[in-house]
Amino acid sequence: MPAMRWTGEMSQITRRSFLKVSTQALLAASGMLGLGALLRYLGYQASPPPITQLDLGPASAYPPGSRTLLPDVPALLVHTEVGFSAISLVCTHLGCTVEPTPQGFACPCHGSEFDPGGLPRRGPAEKPLPSLQVEQDAEGRLILHVV
Amino acid sequence: MRPNFYLHLHPPTIPAAQARWRYTLGAGGTAVFLAFVLLVTGALEMFFYIPTPGEAALSVQMLTYTVPFGGLLRNLHFWAAQWLLVVSAVHLVRVVFTGAYAPPRRFNYLLGLALFVLVILFDFTGYILRWDQGIQWALVVGTNLVKSIPLLGEAFYQILVGGAQIGAATLIRFYAWHVFGLTLLGAGVLFWHIFRVRRDGGIAIPPPALRTQRERIFHFELVRREIAAMVWVGSALLLVSIFVPAPIAPAITEITAAASETHAPWFFLWVQQMLQWGDPFLWGVLAPLVVLLALALIPYALPQPAPDELGRWFPKSNRMAQVLLAALVGLVILLTLLAIGSKV
Repeated sequence: MPAMRWTGEMSQITRRSFLKVSTQALLAASGMLGLGALLRYLGYQASPPPITQLDLGPASAYPPGSRTLLPDVPALLVHTEVGFSAISLVCTHLGCTVEPTPQGFACPCHGSEFDPGGLPRRGPAEKPLPSLQVEQDAEGRLILHVV
Repeated sequence: MRPNFYLHLHPPTIPAAQARWRYTLGAGGTAVFLAFVLLVTGALEMFFYIPTPGEAALSVQMLTYTVPFGGLLRNLHFWAAQWLLVVSAVHLVRVVFTGAYAPPRRFNYLLGLALFVLVILFDFTGYILRWDQGIQWALVVGTNLVKSIPLLGEAFYQILVGGAQIGAATLIRFYAWHVFGLTLLGAGVLFWHIFRVRRDGGIAIPPPALRTQRERIFHFELVRREIAAMVWVGSALLLVSIFVPAPIAPAITEITAAASETHAPWFFLWVQQMLQWGDPFLWGVLAPLVVLLALALIPYALPQPAPDELGRWFPKSNRMAQVLLAALVGLVILLTLLAIGSKV
């Protein structure tokens, strides 16, 4: 019986080109896997997540009518007849700390200005300075919600 | 004799036209020399610099004020870095204004442009390593610009900063990039760039058949000129470093507290000026990338310089490229002046 010769379409691919394509595909896949691993590696957050709440101490430390700058938040804590409120001092444009001015707030980096309520008065910032939630706990301590 | 890289760069003779000061300005060679100065002074700075948020600015102060010759060393590193940026820019302008990027040198032009970008990244990361009140906003703005990139920004930001906000992980990453990552990349591309100069037939001049000047100089004369340039630039660098101190500012107390310096580093003032116009991604990321893309396309998209016009300034055949580059340079200078003039 003569040797069977298979003449299907697969024979169109030579052994050499099959090996070449396989090698390239495997190398590409390995490269992609390695790249993915590298991105995950680099994306790991080494530092702990930032705090979301801040204990400001007894509420009595901030008398009515006071405006207290909290530089490490950064925020401005305001106590009026209505109660406590806080406004973030992080410029909504690119994150510099805005400085209180007679007209509200001004950013030293790119010239954005905000009114006393935090609404943008002059660009490039488009979003208002966010209000931060302030609450008193059972012991009368002020808790500032940073996020 | 065994072939080596030194001999590759210094053939027995070269056409005199390839080594004329008024043609090359010696800018490329000077850039290599400055890079070498930066490598040595930078390595020495590593003996005192401590890359942690609490210690960085203090260790820079110690290096500057108490270590013997530490201030001089730091000034040398600082001035060499600023000059490298200027000299690289001059080199780029020279190459475009003389049409030297013409084939077969188009690819080497791109390598040079990549080196220019690396120099900017080196200068920025090095500036951040001071970690004092002078760099605070530049760091905040620079990293937030990365965050402003649609879709990928958040991931890039985390890889760059090492967390959800700036901290110790950020400083060590900038340090790693500055002393290792960029150095490795830079050394690789620099060697490739210099290697290609000779491979592409040396500094651009007309092909042999079209040359009018037959004069050649010996290897010895080329080396003499290189040493002369090093002595002049080295002396000027030393003189400036003795008398003009590198900037320094008080240590950061809180990363968010008001900082003393609200200007970007001088080479990014033009970007800071554009950022006042609105959308951070558009003006802070896309606009600079468009400038870079325009530079990269010069050898590919504009009329080619004529071979017989190579080796001299302002050939007629590449007028378009000259006008484009002059416009870009003028724009960057104008924006920089506006930023210096404005109060913010």
